[in-house]
Amino acid sequence: MRSALPWLFPPLGFVILALVQGQDANVVDLDRVWAGPDTLHWMGCDDLGRDVLARLARGIMLSLGIGMGVVAASGLIGIVLGLLSGWKGGWLDALIMRMADIVLAFPGMLLAIALAAMLGPGVDNLILALTVVGWVGFARLARVQVQALHHAPFVEAGIAAGMGPAHLAWRHLLPNIAAPVLVEASFGLANVMIGEAGLSFLGLGVQPPDPSLGSMIREGARVMLVHPWLVVWPGLALFSLVMAVNLMGDALRDRLDVQGRSG
Amino acid sequence: MGLGVSIGGMWMNVLIGRLAQLLPTLWGVVTVVFLLLHMVPGDPVEALLGESAMPADREALRQALHLDQPLWSQYQAYCLGVMHGDWGVSLIDGRPVLEHIAGRAPATMILAAAALLLAMLLALPLGYVAARHAGGKADRFAMAFALAGVSVPNFWLGPMLMLVFAVELGWFPVSGMDEPASMVLPAITLGTAMAAMLSRMMRSAWLEAMHGGSCRTARAFGASEWRLWWRDAARLAAMPVVTMLGLQLGSLLAGAVITEAVFDWPGLGLLTLEAIQRRDYPLVQGCVLVIALFYIAANLLADLLVAWLDPRVRRA
Repeated sequence: MRSALPWLFPPLGFVILALVQGQDANVVDLDRVWAGPDTLHWMGCDDLGRDVLARLARGIMLSLGIGMGVVAASGLIGIVLGLLSGWKGGWLDALIMRMADIVLAFPGMLLAIALAAMLGPGVDNLILALTVVGWVGFARLARVQVQALHHAPFVEAGIAAGMGPAHLAWRHLLPNIAAPVLVEASFGLANVMIGEAGLSFLGLGVQPPDPSLGSMIREGARVMLVHPWLVVWPGLALFSLVMAVNLMGDALRDRLDVQGRSG
Repeated sequence: MGLGVSIGGMWMNVLIGRLAQLLPTLWGVVTVVFLLLHMVPGDPVEALLGESAMPADREALRQALHLDQPLWSQYQAYCLGVMHGDWGVSLIDGRPVLEHIAGRAPATMILAAAALLLAMLLALPLGYVAARHAGGKADRFAMAFALAGVSVPNFWLGPMLMLVFAVELGWFPVSGMDEPASMVLPAITLGTAMAAMLSRMMRSAWLEAMHGGSCRTARAFGASEWRLWWRDAARLAAMPVVTMLGLQLGSLLAGAVITEAVFDWPGLGLLTLEAIQRRDYPLVQGCVLVIALFYIAANLLADLLVAWLDPRVRRA
């Protein structure tokens, strides 16, 4: 866990500095187009004279917020479907797993791009597209775990004692699958943050005037010959965030002794 | 039973089993791609032409997209069309979707092949060194690289490489596909994540193989370290790595969409994005379908290769 900490410094630093600086991320000031750093705007301004540091901080918060939202939504949906699938078996299991197979038959990012493109750009559709791709990992994980628990003595004791399915899931199944789910969630968060930024980079995610690290990279890349820092900072922020989350995932996996997901 | 017969028999079993599993998947993929058009909020015709369009134009487009028919017959027509090689026509220039795809596919294949080659050339030594010196400095260094490789977004890596190697140093062209050297930066951009994942996978597969029974036995019989690592263990380790390779090829093709956008590389990915920007829905559907089909084929190939590598299947 300690190895993840240094990677949190750059994004955390940007957010704290932006708070101290106190500029608005979306205020346009055409007199300050591509202005260099000064006492008011510590990291200068972009093509519309907006404060780069404030936008960076906003982008980091959005990236984290959307990432956690997508992981929570796909985790919830995936775990419920996975529990149902593994516990009930039969046609329900077959149906849910075929749905999962079809999602997995597409490269994840491609399906997210296609969905976001068809549904139209915007944060809601971005979250929807990433959730459609994301639930499968959780569902398959929960299913396998529950199948293994089906005949565990404490589960059979619970059934014999007359526990209802919801009670059983809450008391015995969920606590026992929590560790692998947590590991899956942290790697999922890293993927979703890259996915969000990638879709925003393509113009399919967060819409202007709101900043996303992805759209900032795209705008920065356009003018990178003259203002290279505009592409360096948002990428650095995203990279270190994802690095930190991945390291956390690695540490969790080792500490909780969860198998698999070495890639 | 003779050896030859059993090889052929097992092979056919694996092949037939996989093909049978594939059919529902293919059907599902075609269905999802068909439904994509109907996910456009409201009326796709309206979205395409805008509110001020002439009624006659609207009607013509509605007919071109078959939206004037009931959903079920649209679906049937789409499935039949896909099977017969009629993937519809582009709404922009009226050329068949498959013609557009055929024109752009080679560029993506070249880029993907270069990225794959690069990934393997990087991952093999990294994975080997990391496994051989597990826990040591070299291991930590290789795995730090691997972690950075999976964490770096390719839409940032691309511009950064461009900035350093094309603009500052002038070693490679900035974008386009005019000379062999123009392939280097896109291939690195696309291949880095795969190299990183492969080296992590190779390390763990190699270590697992070395601790397995067959390698222990071989060592007890006095096999040299070199032979152990590169023959006995490498053969076992190859199986999970090949499976992973098939799975990762999908991310590679999806990553090509972004990489091609960064470098203006005239492949399928750029075609997909152009189609999205122009709301050329049939072309978007065609691009998504063809990439998914490539992905499925790659996985099938990987599965068959694993079956061939597995002595239990070969010598059963």
